[in-house]
Amino acid sequence: MATEDKLIKVSNLCKYYYNGDLKAVDDVSYSIAKGDVTVIIGPSGSGKSTFLRCLNLLEIPTSGEVIFDGTDITKAKKNIDEHRRKMGMVFQHFNLFPHKTVLQNMTLAPMKVRKMSKEQAEAKALQLLKRVGLEDRANAYPIQLSGGQKQRVAIVRALMMEPEVMLFDEPTSALDPEMVGEVLEVIRELAETGMTMVIVTHEMGFAREVAKRVVFMADGKIVEEGTPEQIFGNPQSPRLQDFLRKVL
Amino acid sequence: MFSSAGFAKTWQYIQLFEQGLICTLSLSALTVLFGFIFALILALMRMSKIKPLSWFATCYVELFRATPMLVQLFIIYYVVFANTSLPNFKLFGFIRFDRFLPGVVALSMNSGAYLSEIIRAGIQSIDHGQTEAARSLGLTSGQTLKEIILPQAIKNILPAIANEFVTIIKESSICYTIGVQEIMYAVSATKGATYRIAEPLLIATAVYFCLTFPTIKIIAYFERRMSRGDRR
Repeated sequence: MATEDKLIKVSNLCKYYYNGDLKAVDDVSYSIAKGDVTVIIGPSGSGKSTFLRCLNLLEIPTSGEVIFDGTDITKAKKNIDEHRRKMGMVFQHFNLFPHKTVLQNMTLAPMKVRKMSKEQAEAKALQLLKRVGLEDRANAYPIQLSGGQKQRVAIVRALMMEPEVMLFDEPTSALDPEMVGEVLEVIRELAETGMTMVIVTHEMGFAREVAKRVVFMADGKIVEEGTPEQIFGNPQSPRLQDFLRKVL
Repeated sequence: MFSSAGFAKTWQYIQLFEQGLICTLSLSALTVLFGFIFALILALMRMSKIKPLSWFATCYVELFRATPMLVQLFIIYYVVFANTSLPNFKLFGFIRFDRFLPGVVALSMNSGAYLSEIIRAGIQSIDHGQTEAARSLGLTSGQTLKEIILPQAIKNILPAIANEFVTIIKESSICYTIGVQEIMYAVSATKGATYRIAEPLLIATAVYFCLTFPTIKIIAYFERRMSRGDRR
């Protein structure tokens, strides 16, 4: 693959805590091409969430580079808001704003950051809500929604900013089992539109089905990387074989 | 103790109590306003990553919480404002501005210290995920504070703020010692003129209660309204 179609290029990324006693992400280099769906799997504490959060600088890397759209965003401290708005993020615990309605949750950032008019933003929000089957909940408060509905709102809230890449941090881990499907369905549809996505998940079946590349992390390092067929069908490292035996 | 003759005498000076009420209300309202703005600035300074700012705010808060209000008031009035000649006009035709202003300043500085700790606790009680979500959407830290954190924080600390506001109404009585014509000043003036103390005090008690009790109720009402998002 030619370097120019890499949307995100990470080199030698490290994130240490406690002055290096805990190496959450340890010298990771990886590139993500435009339109790719990359799924990161691994045991808990392997650094996959931290790695994801370093991509939009919710965690400030200890060292290394994150080149997004040709700019090293770890150096561009002043313009970080500008870069962040091109990266949508969906969290494990949804993080909807509880004091705002679904519609207000969605229109706030487009109106404040992209200076969209209220009418424009609301029309766009309703259109997106319709896409995820929640147009009738536009005026509900987050507390009135089920977990699956909250996460679907969180996804379309991020889409309102028309990001170039979507980051998912264990989007279904906090959901009741019967609600996992509806959220994965939305993510799957989004993948089909050609959106670049990086997904940290424990849903192996989903990873296998939707991923273009799968990354296996353990102890802060990328242990193995490949297509879903390679990773799930023919794992090489003992660490990955052991992990898959436990989760599948 | 109380006598109807005493009440009759005191009643002749009821105008002083009316003026006292207006004065206490203006004093408290201005203190609430300036104290809150000041407290917000102090709280943000204290949480700032810039060390001298947070150090200053911490010292300020500790100093003002650890010394008596009366001492602070006297220092402001007799020392800080000693050599400044304030305009000598009268608010509403009777409140002497050169005494009123130092009163407002002292009360605001004092309640700012207390309120800033309440605000800081409120801001820190908001889940960090809220900030992360807002920042990931591209909002600046200022926008995040204004749109996401403060509305939730203020809702959470409203009972504590209400308490502080009621405290201000009551504590403003201390300004009588520097000659601000608030309710206690009316008591003192009436006592001097009528040699009655029980009746003026009873009236003062009633006036204070009528001020603070509705304040508590009004804030409780807004608290209920603002918690809409919390309930099904």
